[in-house]
Amino acid sequence: MKRRDFLKKSSIATVGAFAAPYLLPSGRLFAATGMRRVNHVVFCLYAGGVRNLESVHMNDGNLMRNMFNGGGGISADIAGGMESLPVSPLAMPLQNYGTLFKEFRYASGPTGHYNGHTVALTGNYVDVDLNIREHPSKPTIFEYYRKHNSPQQSAMNSWWIANTLGPYPALNYSKASGYGAAYGANFIAPTSLISPQGFDVLGNPRNFSSSEQAAANNMRQFVNGMFNHSYADGSAGVVNTEADSVLLQQFISTLYSNAQNSSWLNAWGAGLQVMNNDMYNILFAEEVIRTFKPELLVVNMQDVDVCHFNFTSYANNLRKADFAVAQLWKTIQSTPGMANDTVLIIAPEHGRNFQSNTSIDAFGRSALDHTAPNDPNFSGDPNLTMARDIFCMVVGPPSVVRQGQVINTVSGESTEIVPAIAELLGFETAISGRFGMKPWTSCDLQAAFV
Amino acid sequence: MKRAILYVFVMSLLISCSTKKEVEYEVDPVAVAASGGDKNNQKSTTEFISIAYADLFNTEISQTRLVNLSIAYSSFGDLRVIEDRIIRNFLNDTNAVIPASISVSGDTSVFISNSYKKFFNREATAFEKYQWLQLIRSNPSTSPLTVYYSLMTSDEYRFY
Repeated sequence: MKRRDFLKKSSIATVGAFAAPYLLPSGRLFAATGMRRVNHVVFCLYAGGVRNLESVHMNDGNLMRNMFNGGGGISADIAGGMESLPVSPLAMPLQNYGTLFKEFRYASGPTGHYNGHTVALTGNYVDVDLNIREHPSKPTIFEYYRKHNSPQQSAMNSWWIANTLGPYPALNYSKASGYGAAYGANFIAPTSLISPQGFDVLGNPRNFSSSEQAAANNMRQFVNGMFNHSYADGSAGVVNTEADSVLLQQFISTLYSNAQNSSWLNAWGAGLQVMNNDMYNILFAEEVIRTFKPELLVVNMQDVDVCHFNFTSYANNLRKADFAVAQLWKTIQSTPGMANDTVLIIAPEHGRNFQSNTSIDAFGRSALDHTAPNDPNFSGDPNLTMARDIFCMVVGPPSVVRQGQVINTVSGESTEIVPAIAELLGFETAISGRFGMKPWTSCDLQAAFV
Repeated sequence: MKRAILYVFVMSLLISCSTKKEVEYEVDPVAVAASGGDKNNQKSTTEFISIAYADLFNTEISQTRLVNLSIAYSSFGDLRVIEDRIIRNFLNDTNAVIPASISVSGDTSVFISNSYKKFFNREATAFEKYQWLQLIRSNPSTSPLTVYYSLMTSDEYRFY
């Protein structure tokens, strides 16, 4: 080869090497190009089936004073069924810190709780064939975040906090190819784990000294090396590193310790007799926020579902959930690292029927189910699709979220929340349109952001 | 001549009927057991809890305890974290049957062998026994408790 040819070819190769795309560990060619709008997103599923008539339309007065402006006093006939709650921890109702979509929609599919949760977490509507014994078929927002956020984050940065067991533990990751447990969120059902039953079996563990623990780790490592299967390859749920597992053990111990302290349980001053499952779930979520400052946290509440049998208790639980959300925002804004760098999204998973069922409570109010679209009386009357009508509130820093904005027209739907979270955390372009998801550029939720 | 032929025939017959000496290999009898490599099935949650309890307490777990454990199990996403905690709670129970010494009559390899049979339902291989002896001798923090803990939180204990 002539010297001139050698120089020419080697210089082309050098330029090529710099210009060639790098293959990242995630399998993508380039790091995500999207700019983050905030570094933390908390999504609160105000679930259990909340009807717009009682929430944003305030048919029985403003039952959610911590979240919504205005509205009159609570209807006299059910006022006696309302428990006393402390004053709001916020300077003004939450809607003033962001944008309220009064006519958001759960537009398609059965209006079941698990369906609604799955839709909210996967960004895809589901049908009647949803299997409650399996992980969702399409990736969850947790997996999108952990796989496509750059740099990739550990499970310690993404949490799914459910108020109950049943099928809900399955929502921290999907069975979608290329996703799954390796990208799942840490899941906790605190009111089940941190319970007398949980304490009975987990509350008194043998604590090893660091040298004992190191010896045990060495021995386990040897034993695992001699065995040809790994338990951590998906069947053990979400996998944390050994160091993170130690932190999680400490966290569980702290929660057990806290739960034995009545002043911690009554940290909001509401009174232990008032605290319900929803409130405790948020209280525990606050502990996750303070301890781990996760970039993505999803927490739910469902106590309003008592409405199947008791309307007045439903109204009362709407108030409790509203108070809990205000506490959640207060904690976010009081946590260094998350304050003024977090967007909080709040939405029910679905609504409730216009038509009541046959149960009547002690205050003479009829109970409500949530059966659309299988309402036997469905005849095109919009009232009969009321279980699809929900609200959505987005609050956050003024530089990110439009403050004090109210959108009264039908705008936005449940499947827009996943793209919104992805957009906020800067990886929407990497997942846009995947698995039939609505691209962010088509989402009405864009109107919430500066 | 006839006698000579008869003599040769009888002698030939005797020689051909002589017993051949059996070859004996000086190997001790070995009991055949499943090796770790044959374990392909993962224990279910209930199986794991029930077996772990029976292994440590030499009795069946009560239904109430099983239900409580199942609830706790489902309440956390990282199953290894919860299993670790379940085992450490078992080990902290004064009713757990844990040997006082890491050797049986001064023989550590018997303790290892017994532990493998108890938890893995198989005999430890010669290599495993050798390695365990090294691990135990090189670390003064090793105790029956830490050995039980490491075996019960290993991958093999999760399979059958």
